[in-house]
Amino acid sequence: MSGGIEFYVSSLTLLFGINLIAVWGLDLQYGVTGIFNFAYIIFQAAGAYADGILSLHPANFYQAGETYVGGFHLPFPLPLLGATVAGGLLAVPVSFIVRRLRGDYQAMALLVLSLIATAFVTAQTNFLDGSLGLSFIPKPLYGSVLPASPVSYQWYYCAFVAFVALMVFFMVRAIVTSPFGRVLRAVRDSETAVASLGRSAHRARYIIFIFGGALAGLSGGLFVQYITSWTPTGWLYPETFLFLTAIVVGGAANLGGNVLGTLLVIIGIQEATRFLPQVVYPGLIDSLDWVVIGLALLAFLWFRPKGLVPERRRTLARFVPGQRRTADDLLLGTAAASGALAEVPDIGQPRSDES
Amino acid sequence: MTLLPGIIAFGLFSACLLSIGAVGFTLQFGVTNVLNLAYGGLLTSAMFVDYAIGRGSPNIWLALGVGAGWGALSSLLFARFIVAPYVRRGTSLVGMAMVTIAVGLVIQYGLEAIQGPFVYGFRVGAQSTVRVAGVTLSELQLVVMGVAAVLMVAVHLLLRYTRLGLAMRATASHASLARGCGVSTDNVRLAAWIVSGALCGISGALLGVSTGSFNPTSGAGFFITLVVAAIVGGVGKPYGAMLGSLIVGLISQAAAAVIAPQYNEIVAWLLLIVVLIVRPQGIFAEFAAQRELVG
Repeated sequence: MSGGIEFYVSSLTLLFGINLIAVWGLDLQYGVTGIFNFAYIIFQAAGAYADGILSLHPANFYQAGETYVGGFHLPFPLPLLGATVAGGLLAVPVSFIVRRLRGDYQAMALLVLSLIATAFVTAQTNFLDGSLGLSFIPKPLYGSVLPASPVSYQWYYCAFVAFVALMVFFMVRAIVTSPFGRVLRAVRDSETAVASLGRSAHRARYIIFIFGGALAGLSGGLFVQYITSWTPTGWLYPETFLFLTAIVVGGAANLGGNVLGTLLVIIGIQEATRFLPQVVYPGLIDSLDWVVIGLALLAFLWFRPKGLVPERRRTLARFVPGQRRTADDLLLGTAAASGALAEVPDIGQPRSDES
Repeated sequence: MTLLPGIIAFGLFSACLLSIGAVGFTLQFGVTNVLNLAYGGLLTSAMFVDYAIGRGSPNIWLALGVGAGWGALSSLLFARFIVAPYVRRGTSLVGMAMVTIAVGLVIQYGLEAIQGPFVYGFRVGAQSTVRVAGVTLSELQLVVMGVAAVLMVAVHLLLRYTRLGLAMRATASHASLARGCGVSTDNVRLAAWIVSGALCGISGALLGVSTGSFNPTSGAGFFITLVVAAIVGGVGKPYGAMLGSLIVGLISQAAAAVIAPQYNEIVAWLLLIVVLIVRPQGIFAEFAAQRELVG
């Protein structure tokens, strides 16, 4: 392979891994638990900024007129751990919104929070250098342990991202297949049933909100070490809908569906075209990418709201001979039998009360 | 307090500009319960259409006509061919928020693709100014305030003294009961979308003319601010939205004067989260716990 193609392929591969981690984190919240986190991108941003200030020297070290807090110059992999913690910590205060509001109000409040965060970081120039952002964030182990050649270094970084993504996959799979995973799906489907069985929906949502935030932070840290700079224009509110579109297209609450969605939407539409030569004028392709993403979201919500790979029905057929029932049915059995659960509106699930 | 007259004057001006959009937003939300996140995109598109038709002329009457016409037409098409089919399909409240934001993204980035690398601005020349209590307001700003006042009176007359207004209020407070009493809620909701779209278009065109320059994201921040005004006043309550606009306008101008100009929107937006958490029903009006989607 020529150097250019090799660089392109390795870039796409590691962007795939990084975005996949973020998509899994968001789908745990959105698809599995039913938290409409329209501010997901700010958790990724928190991770990226945290990684930046933990791995950079203090601002006055560079004599470049930058102003930001911290600058601890910690060795790899401490900044990445810091990024993960930052994403999780940010979720603690924000979880208050999730606790108090439901449905479209929750979605709107979080969307507004995303705008507030961008405006605040831009306005407060001495916090994270405002609209200029952080730059020259060091690539971990570049030129010391690993080769200082961009292309071969990138393959090492790719392998590292793949390793992290694999670990995240096992963790997320362990969560969704565990009894706690059943509680999460029950929180999404019927909070009343969860409460009636003595589980706390608040606690489940709280845990998964922090866990998803930490995954977003981790992906932000991995991302910023690859692109080496981070500004407010990199995490505007539409980015959250890029992840959501990937989830809706691939299939919510399905780890494999997330992989397919990330590949098609984020890599296929957004990233693959980033390296194309600019036609007509710079930025046209990027704008059209977003138009396509919006149209894809509309099309899938209409034609295939459950996505290309729908959520797997979890059956416990061997326990109930002659009748296939889902594990969630069993958990919610009592309430469902009494008709209390007759109507659980979900995205794309037809409601019977046609108005 | 030398800041006070300025805060009041500019606060009133932003309140007037906000109130047009906020009343339109809340009217439609109250009648149909669809959280229309494409409203900001429609608002921005009105600036572009007004600019294209008037060739950059900052004529306020042209802005009014074009804004109202474009807004009403596109809002009607949006409601008829996008919102209503999804609602009939059984899309949930949050699902509708995703549908409308997808449309918003398509509009915003579609405009960006059309605009390209060029910067557009209305040809706002030197204007005669009026000095009131140490504050200088331009003639344009005063006209905008007058237009907003007239529009608010018009909305009041529509809601209070026409059969359509009565039907709208009935549908907003209890849709199925209104239907049971013979109100054609389908027509009422389309009327609400049209009125809301017209107010949205006017608000966008006036924002463009009074700011001068604009771009595909100009309407986004303003849209969030007018949502704050609508929610502070109680969702679905047009009079609440007027009061909410006044509160948000004054608070954001106070924040701009006291903290820093960049903070006017930040403080206004924070108000939304505080109000939603502390008092989601707004400062007055009871909260409708059971909301029913009517596209």
